[in-house]
Amino acid sequence: MNKPRLLNDSLLPTLAIWTVAGLVGCAFLWLIGDVIWQGTRYLSWEFLISPPANAGRQGGISTILVSTGLILLVCMSVSLPIGLGAAVFLAEWTSVSQPFSQFIRRSLDVLASVPSIVFGLFGNAFFCQLLGLGFSILSGGLTLACMVLPILIRTTEEGFRALPQDYRLSASALGLTKKSTLFHLLLPAAIPSLLVGFILGLGRAIAETAALIFTSGYVDRMPESLLDSGRALSIHIYDLSMNVPGGDQAAYATALALIACLVMLNSLSSWISGLWARTRILTT
Amino acid sequence: MLNIIRYFSIILFMLATTACQESPAAHSTNTKLILTGSSTIAPLVSEIGKRFEVQHPGTRIDVQTGGSSRGIADIRQGIAHIGMASRSLKYSERDLHSTVIAHDGIGFIVHQSNPLSSLDDQAIVNIYTGSVSNWKEIGGIDAPITVVNKAEGRATLELFLKHFNLHSTQIKAHVVIGDNEQGIKVVSGNPHAIGYVSIGTAAYSASHDIPIKLLGLGAIPASLDEVLSGRFPLSRPLTLVTKSVPTGTLKMFIDFARSSDSYDLVSQYYFVPLQG
Repeated sequence: MNKPRLLNDSLLPTLAIWTVAGLVGCAFLWLIGDVIWQGTRYLSWEFLISPPANAGRQGGISTILVSTGLILLVCMSVSLPIGLGAAVFLAEWTSVSQPFSQFIRRSLDVLASVPSIVFGLFGNAFFCQLLGLGFSILSGGLTLACMVLPILIRTTEEGFRALPQDYRLSASALGLTKKSTLFHLLLPAAIPSLLVGFILGLGRAIAETAALIFTSGYVDRMPESLLDSGRALSIHIYDLSMNVPGGDQAAYATALALIACLVMLNSLSSWISGLWARTRILTT
Repeated sequence: MLNIIRYFSIILFMLATTACQESPAAHSTNTKLILTGSSTIAPLVSEIGKRFEVQHPGTRIDVQTGGSSRGIADIRQGIAHIGMASRSLKYSERDLHSTVIAHDGIGFIVHQSNPLSSLDDQAIVNIYTGSVSNWKEIGGIDAPITVVNKAEGRATLELFLKHFNLHSTQIKAHVVIGDNEQGIKVVSGNPHAIGYVSIGTAAYSASHDIPIKLLGLGAIPASLDEVLSGRFPLSRPLTLVTKSVPTGTLKMFIDFARSSDSYDLVSQYYFVPLQG
């Protein structure tokens, strides 16, 4: 009588939860382990600083890294100001129940769930053809900006909403204008959530293939301007593993470089947000 | 905080001005050719383009991908100068001009452990229409067949349908794939699968320890030699398509791609050069 109860009450659920958690950990370790195991054999400093040769089977990924960096730079310099502005508007200037802000919120939710290939086709039709930017880093970056905006805006907006109402009340009691309340009080306090949105957006952008193949394109040469086509890391990986016979080794090494970039970006931004949290007290 | 915003606007401004300044300068001195189309040809033409750029300073060859049909659509819309198509032109496309730069054969692949070494046309039709669903019915082991087919819009699929006189709605596929390497990965991971891919790519993979095997078509073995001799029935031209008869830089590039200067590159991608 006692034994099965023990099994039912505590042992079985505990076991199940541990197994599930273990499985998640295994999946992660297997994936990362596979990429590191296969990638480190080929990855070297030489690989990072030399341009690809022979469709990527020889040489390295220097031009791909530069193109990816430029695409991300365009994407983030366009989406950050727009995202921040829209989030401030949604959180500070309108209430949740207002029809216009509801409309914006609904559109953002729909945008966030649109598959990336649709953004790719839209970017190709709008930026490449209608605006005449052609296959270029600028088109790719702008397409990505459209794609990461919903994530950026919703995370930042949540950040603003999570700030205590006391901040705003004390500020107006002290006679601060809405503008200085925003710049000196709310914005610094909401920076961590902006950074989280930034990282989520960056993570989605750097790993994007479908939205970029028809916008920033396939050219693996060193881009001379933002109007040149440039191949992103994820497209390079896709092409090497799916289209170029004998490209698997280089694909693994590139994937490892991509993961390393992501990890570095993540730790950099959490370091910055930590720094911010400490200095914020001085600025306010 | 204000500082950050100030820095940010400066960066934005600089970015915008560099984009505006560089564009006319970079493009007035350069001739830029844009090619789009078949993903099979894209890596090869990228390399031919790089070699052409070295010999003709001031030209840029930009190669994009997306499939043969996309290449044709892009030159019709004027987005690209040259389309890449891994098939001959259709009747509806006869107003365009196409030039063959290499040949490629399509072969059927199975897992290395499969005891069969060739299949005739009828067996393949039966497998792909679903009337044969177990390997033992055609002399293999007792196991269900996994049918791997190419995605719609791929030139390989069109050639396959035309050769076997099938319609895409008749095909009962279990797996639908895009590029060649994907097909090879699916078949090498499934001992009971059958698929069809570019012979050159398959021969390369088979010789590099990937557990796949090329099946002969009837009595003819699937090899690059047979494609070269013209005996292998399932072969296709790799072509560069232009809106009209090419002139100027377009003609120079297409002639270069056809010339003996590019044969070694064609062989590196496991296609069959025009000669030799």
